[in-house]
Amino acid sequence: MLKSLLKTALRSLLRHKASSLINVLGLSIGISASLVIYLIVHYEFSFDTFHRDGDRIYRVVSKMDFPDAVFRNCGVPVPTVKAVREEVTGLEGETFFITANQTKVGVVEDRASAPKVFRKQQGMIYADNEYFRFFGYRWLAGSQEKALAEPFSVVLTESRAQSYFPGLAPSAMLLKHVTYDDTITVTVTGVVEDIRQTTDFIFQEFISLGTVEQTGLKAQWGWDNWGSINSNSQFFVKLLPGVSPSGIEEQLVQVRKRHREAKDRKDDTQHFLQPLPDIHFNPDYGIFDSSPSPVHKQTLYGLLAVATFLLLLGCINFINLTTAQAAQRAKEIGIRKTLGSGRAQLMLQFLGESFLLTVVASILSVAIAQSLVDLFRDFIPPGVTYASVFQWHVWVFLAALDVIISLFSGTYPALVLARFQPITILRNQMFAGSATTRGTSIRKILTVSQFTVAQVLIIAAVVVSKQTLYSINKDLGYRRDAIVSFHVPWSFDAWQWSRTAGKSDLRRFTLLNRLREIPEINTISLAGDPPASNGTSSTAMKVNNGKSIVETMVEIKYADTSYFGLYGMKLIAGRNLLQSDTTREFVINETFARFLGFSNPIDAIGRSIQRHGMIPIVGVLADFHTKSTHQAIKPLAYSSAGKSSFMFHLALKAGDPDSWKVALKKTESAFKEVYPDQNFESRFFDETIAAFYKTEQNTARLLNWAAGLAIFISCIGLLGLVIHTTNARVKEIGVRKVLGASVTGIVSLLTREFMMLVLVAFLLASPVGWWAMNRWLQDFAFRTGLSWWVFALAGVFAFVTAILTVSVQAFRAASANPVDSLRTE
Amino acid sequence: MIKLNHIFKWYTNSFVKTYVLRDINLEIKEGEFVSVMGPSGSGKSTLLHIIGMLDEQSDGEYFFLEEPTHTLGEKARSELHKNHIGFVFQSYHLIDDLTVYENLETPLLYKKIGASERKSLVADTLDRFQIVGKKDLFPNQLSGGQQQLVGVARAVITSPKLILADEPTGNLNSAQGSEIMELFKKLNSEGTTIIQVTHSEKNASYGKRIINLLDGRVTSS
Repeated sequence: MLKSLLKTALRSLLRHKASSLINVLGLSIGISASLVIYLIVHYEFSFDTFHRDGDRIYRVVSKMDFPDAVFRNCGVPVPTVKAVREEVTGLEGETFFITANQTKVGVVEDRASAPKVFRKQQGMIYADNEYFRFFGYRWLAGSQEKALAEPFSVVLTESRAQSYFPGLAPSAMLLKHVTYDDTITVTVTGVVEDIRQTTDFIFQEFISLGTVEQTGLKAQWGWDNWGSINSNSQFFVKLLPGVSPSGIEEQLVQVRKRHREAKDRKDDTQHFLQPLPDIHFNPDYGIFDSSPSPVHKQTLYGLLAVATFLLLLGCINFINLTTAQAAQRAKEIGIRKTLGSGRAQLMLQFLGESFLLTVVASILSVAIAQSLVDLFRDFIPPGVTYASVFQWHVWVFLAALDVIISLFSGTYPALVLARFQPITILRNQMFAGSATTRGTSIRKILTVSQFTVAQVLIIAAVVVSKQTLYSINKDLGYRRDAIVSFHVPWSFDAWQWSRTAGKSDLRRFTLLNRLREIPEINTISLAGDPPASNGTSSTAMKVNNGKSIVETMVEIKYADTSYFGLYGMKLIAGRNLLQSDTTREFVINETFARFLGFSNPIDAIGRSIQRHGMIPIVGVLADFHTKSTHQAIKPLAYSSAGKSSFMFHLALKAGDPDSWKVALKKTESAFKEVYPDQNFESRFFDETIAAFYKTEQNTARLLNWAAGLAIFISCIGLLGLVIHTTNARVKEIGVRKVLGASVTGIVSLLTREFMMLVLVAFLLASPVGWWAMNRWLQDFAFRTGLSWWVFALAGVFAFVTAILTVSVQAFRAASANPVDSLRTE
Repeated sequence: MIKLNHIFKWYTNSFVKTYVLRDINLEIKEGEFVSVMGPSGSGKSTLLHIIGMLDEQSDGEYFFLEEPTHTLGEKARSELHKNHIGFVFQSYHLIDDLTVYENLETPLLYKKIGASERKSLVADTLDRFQIVGKKDLFPNQLSGGQQQLVGVARAVITSPKLILADEPTGNLNSAQGSEIMELFKKLNSEGTTIIQVTHSEKNASYGKRIINLLDGRVTSS
């Protein structure tokens, strides 16, 4: 039975080549998109799901409330750890570690030869023994109980160990030495296997926490300070079974109450327990200090929606074409029924056909997935490659998807087909020749929904692109072209190990003088971050505005005398900053002045801000954007402070890219002379700004593709329907031509109905698109308008594509010789 | 075998009842060879379809093998016709996508007959109708006569008690037609009940009994 069904199914697919091709193409686009999106979603959700008792492991995080800002931090004040260990009940264990910055590592082979040097090593943490119990490492040498018990010991992962001591067995690596920043020597006391599963715990080198206490690091990490929270300090707790996180959170409040300094003031810090699976997704806290930003769950849901839409469109094609062709299958159905087939058997047969078609589409989509992965490489996480397709769970997913799709798209047509009464068919009153078959109205509804989805996607794509262009090209309040900036190290590398931490490095002034000699550079500024950058440093400021004392959070930036000129920022009142080593005066922005109650910026000049002493406001800057257009402009103050200036800004000759190369080359060689150990990494300012909109640009690209594919799938579906109608109406066309109808008349007769459907879809898509995109735009403090032409564009595009598709076939049918069509009877 | 009591069939079209069959009373015994005759539109095919349970009467009682079919559900009726009735059509109605062999096999599949028995039944039938050489051809590769031969072969392969034939020779030339009629005669002599609808006196003469229909009524039987 099965074999026979399969055979008929295959033959029927081959017989209706056009519609099979349309169906396979439409479905395979949807399936390949779903496949790639499944890979992404599966990958992101597989992070750290494998830890034993992972459901009881939490990270302790902090939230700080300030007058008009809330800060969240994934760390805790260091002394919290000891207090929790001693005072909190209901915990099975705790582990504390500090994620370290990039470090220079020397591997000592023997005393005679110079150590092997690895610059900028990453993935180091200062950890305790408990860490390995929490996150389940396998030991190749050494032991979990003892490895990190002593200061100046280190545990390495197998891969890291192999890069340091190539060819040695793990046990032979024990007692070898490694130096950090040429200052401190530690002993290898253990080697663990790398974690093979997907994880955010990508650490490679585990230095005993005791090391911190023996060195200057202790001061850097605020070892005894209840008031400072560093995102490098990571505190994980494991709850006893049955203990609720909220109970622990309450105990944490008590711990703070007992220990914190400045008890006279209200405690603005609160701790929460963050579940392990939340770490990979929660943007409030981030993953770890040096990890990439957390994954945006909304984006994943958006991707799922795109996949669903594309699949839906493919399914609609299938339903439409199959029911449209029902008449052609009617004879077979009638015969089978007279031969004794029940309705169930027929339904099974048609479902089998849709399953077969879906399987063919899936096989094709596995091939298409390769190009999709390449095409969206920078959108897809690096852990997902085309090779990820070849995992057992992907095949299970595909098989399940095939079953769902074939049930979804096959059930309705199968019902329609199996319902045919044999008698009507066999009486030779078959309606194969008539254009009005059962289910026409359902087909119309489905086609309308297809084009509605396609047009909503087009509207979305246009609006996202429009907003991105608007954001990138908006007058942000400063010049952005031909400006390059780069960092210099803000201290000697070794400072963190020495007990006299914080001694400033003055080499940057040497570099400044060197750069002044390069003729290709117009202006140089040595200051803080550029006007727009990712990082923010804010502080609470109090100002007496003459009536009362106003307090607010203010973003702090550092400039020098040439900074405002270099960036073309406008002073609308007062004067430029004077050069100084530490903050002596402020230039504030217009928003801050307005916040203080001065509608005329001039009035702010001369007022003083309370910071370690009273500091006068000497100038007011016209407002400018420090962040993307998502964010409103907030109060801001610039001061000149040579001690806090570690960033160079170079204005190059505008419109002369050749000279930029020369300038950069010369700058780099000057940089290398002053900082021989450092890499020179510069960035054009306009690129920094464009990078703010990377998400939007990616979204725009994704939407462009989704919209394009949606309209493509819908149009080939339309083509299938037109082919069918023209075939069904071939006699009518012949008669009309004999009666004197013109080709254009017949083309318009054949296409009018379809065009009406696209038009109805446009009327539906416009308000839906307007609503959705209006909501999306609310995320931007500065946004482009939803102009009428966005909708017109989407409508015209869909209309023109559809009419082109339809009229080609219609024209062919209309220009056929009527004699041929009429003779066939 | 077949007993029809006061069978009516009508269609309701814009509130007007159009009668196709009016008060048909008929009894057909096992082993008969009956020809239904009458002009176009007299209700011959409808009668045949009702007997074959492809269509349902609007009113009246129909007993098939003593079973009151008018009280049975669709499933039970489909079971009856699957097991006891074979159809032969004017336009052959073979499944275009299946070969001769597969067309013959299809009713056996629906009767859930095992693979080995199926194989031998199809082989026997191919042999009996002398179409072994055609078994891998598709219907459109055969002449009309050959197609109808396959049609008859398919109708008898399940050894039905009753064969219903709706103008079986209507699309055939006379030589092919008489070949098919001879076949029916032979089947009837072997015990199969046959009811055929026909326009041709010659074909009717193969049968033992003629039922004449006019405007939905039996005029003679």
